[in-house]
Amino acid sequence: MIRFCVLLALLLPVMGHAHYIPEDARLEVSASVAATWRSSSLVDEYEFWQIPGTMMGGHAWPQEKGVSVDEATLTVGSRINERVFGVIEIGSHGGGDDHSDEVELQHAYLGYVCCDSAGPWVLEAGKMSAVFSPSLASHAVDRWISDSPLINDVFFGRDFHDEGVRFWWHETAGVSAGVEVWRGNAYPATDTGDTNWDVFASYLWQGERFTLSGGGWFYQASASSRADHRYGGTHIHTPVAPPGVTATLFPDTRFTGDTDIAGLHGAIRYNPQPHWQWGVEAELMQMNMDGILHDSTGRQASVDSDQFGAWVQPYLQWRRHTMGLRGEWLSTDNHLVGAAAPVLATDSGLANPQDHDPERYTAFWHWQWRDNLALRTEVTEDRTLPESDLRWSVGVVWSGQLWPATSASGAGHHH
Amino acid sequence: MIKRQLGAGICRPALVVALLIMLTGCLEQSRTTVDDQGARVSGFDWGLPDHIPLPREPEDNPMTEEKFQLGRHLFYDTRLSSNGTISCSSCHHQDKAFSDGLAQASGATGERHPRNSQALVNVAWNNSLTWGNPSLGTIEKQIMIPLFGDDPIEHGLNEGNHEQVLRNLQAEPVYASLFAEAFPEQSDPLAGDLAWDNIVKALGSFVRGLVSFDSDFDRGTMSEQALRGERLFNSERLECFHCHAGYNFTDATTDRLTTFNTVLFHNTGLYNIDGLGAYPSPNTGRHEVTGNPGHMGQFRAPGLRNVALTAPYNHDGSVDTLEDVIRNYAAGGRLRVSPPYPGDGRMNPYKDGFIVSFSITESEIQDLVAFLESLTDQAFIANPRFSNPWTDNSNKDLTP
Repeated sequence: MIRFCVLLALLLPVMGHAHYIPEDARLEVSASVAATWRSSSLVDEYEFWQIPGTMMGGHAWPQEKGVSVDEATLTVGSRINERVFGVIEIGSHGGGDDHSDEVELQHAYLGYVCCDSAGPWVLEAGKMSAVFSPSLASHAVDRWISDSPLINDVFFGRDFHDEGVRFWWHETAGVSAGVEVWRGNAYPATDTGDTNWDVFASYLWQGERFTLSGGGWFYQASASSRADHRYGGTHIHTPVAPPGVTATLFPDTRFTGDTDIAGLHGAIRYNPQPHWQWGVEAELMQMNMDGILHDSTGRQASVDSDQFGAWVQPYLQWRRHTMGLRGEWLSTDNHLVGAAAPVLATDSGLANPQDHDPERYTAFWHWQWRDNLALRTEVTEDRTLPESDLRWSVGVVWSGQLWPATSASGAGHHH
Repeated sequence: MIKRQLGAGICRPALVVALLIMLTGCLEQSRTTVDDQGARVSGFDWGLPDHIPLPREPEDNPMTEEKFQLGRHLFYDTRLSSNGTISCSSCHHQDKAFSDGLAQASGATGERHPRNSQALVNVAWNNSLTWGNPSLGTIEKQIMIPLFGDDPIEHGLNEGNHEQVLRNLQAEPVYASLFAEAFPEQSDPLAGDLAWDNIVKALGSFVRGLVSFDSDFDRGTMSEQALRGERLFNSERLECFHCHAGYNFTDATTDRLTTFNTVLFHNTGLYNIDGLGAYPSPNTGRHEVTGNPGHMGQFRAPGLRNVALTAPYNHDGSVDTLEDVIRNYAAGGRLRVSPPYPGDGRMNPYKDGFIVSFSITESEIQDLVAFLESLTDQAFIANPRFSNPWTDNSNKDLTP
């Protein structure tokens, strides 16, 4: 029974995180891949995914019909000595055939553990994921659902890898807290702006049947001429469409200003019976964007935007099967002033002529078929755009340690 | 026991879910408000499609229909020249989109202008107004040059004759009412120096009001050949759209929505008479004004609306057809082996970075020309609002 519970705890963390501290002096190599077939595309070919009332960017590609690799990663980590560790991770983010899903270096950082082998103080520096938001730090293989949360897509461009320094009190008596300072390569910041930083704190309590976690964070980003690099931002290429099909040139509207985002997250898990568990996970984010929209033709408008988003995910587990729902909501309140405000609102995506409230609802079934291999299927009612989309998806998730060979995934200290 | 535990297990998360869903119920209705600070307001009926922003109007010369109509009469009036032979319309013919079909025109005294007469199409949106002068920011300032300039002489007005010219205008009965309506706040708008200020403002208003946005391209009625040409135009292979950008197909565009402007000029590799990049004098473009060697051969990218009507092409009218213009770009510049001004413009060191050679077939050239022809606005060149008011049909109701 104990062995089962330990295995379950490894397979089913309260919330999956991508951050990783090697505990062993040996080299550890792990890999993961998540691939999904989807029944429909969220937007047509030669169209852009732009949720009304929002500015988007980063890697927030729309879901596409057919099979796509949502994410693939290869991670190498080692404890260099008693206090120093290093992690390197390469990976690709999904985005379909036409998108920038090339392999990139996602993590390359060194860490220093102070005061005892398990912490509590950890100093890390290099290219890494932020840990302030558990959902933002998680990989596609860590989630029950293949799609990343809507608010992560809108506020952070799906994921967050940047060069920076993190200093934190690390999971001691259930408490983690720290500060991160970033160079600004991750959306919504730019490295030409001012300092980008965040503070965070979280608490994890584990009882006999209950596990509770919660936390809060605040992130501040500065951007200078920030582009939506999904479709623009560099030399703009006109999409080449077949005869009779119109391909629209992406309006390369930029944002210069500050973005403040605050978030709260929480999770509760309860196991009334050995093979049964119930749980709920949730996260709320409040974003304020204050600055200037501008484009290459000299048009400008000031923008003040307040946006609020949330997702709630209740689930039920029985042995290796998990079924659940995720509801996601987004509310936007934008105010633009300037002669060019109407056109820049449209070009940037902040226009919302129908006062559309983006929503998305997903029901999922996740089956951890083997220790390293999971299957999942989902049905999603996607109302992020004014025209709703109902799509099915079937996916496979593989995650395991390649070296040294072990029977269970999750070696090292994922948190 | 098991049932009770399961029941508790259901109730607690359900309570949490209910609380969180109630919280999301607090989400406010999404909205985006926009304040354009009156950017779509004008006292003049521009008759523009919704997607075209209004042009800027000078604070000291806001557009009015009355000034537009007065300017129209002056534009076509040969009395506005030193010897009564030249009017603005002498070099700006409506049927040629207000160009003249000549490589270079001659002024009132017969002196030849070194530049090709530019078409007057949507001039209100230009952020620079001549082929190569970055300092001319308003139509009113530009108009002073053909009226009073002496190098070359165009209308030939000067200190010695301007009073006589004004007397000729004062003698025309139509003008008394036109000036009074155009400048109602003035007691005698056709007298003294104030009259010349008013003449320039009225001419500026007419030229500013020459608006053309009713081509096949605008109506979406382009032929298949023109659509193929449009794809070529917007392709990275040809790079046309970088300099001929936006709704007027020129990067020298400004409107009420723009808060800052970069005045751009380009060297297209037409000449290289000394092997070091020189253009024949006095046509050295922006360099002629700034004296900066790096500005040698830089000229404004003209708008392409009605371009099929405005041959010959380039700043000196030295290229006869659109096909030849395209061939020069395809070659990455022009190679002239015989006089005048032989030289290899392809090797001009001041050439714009977008002027690089590309391969193109004759069929593709015809496609591209078809696209450029689709920018012709037949209504513009036949619009009675823009026509000569001194002819018999001038009494029509021409309000927009």
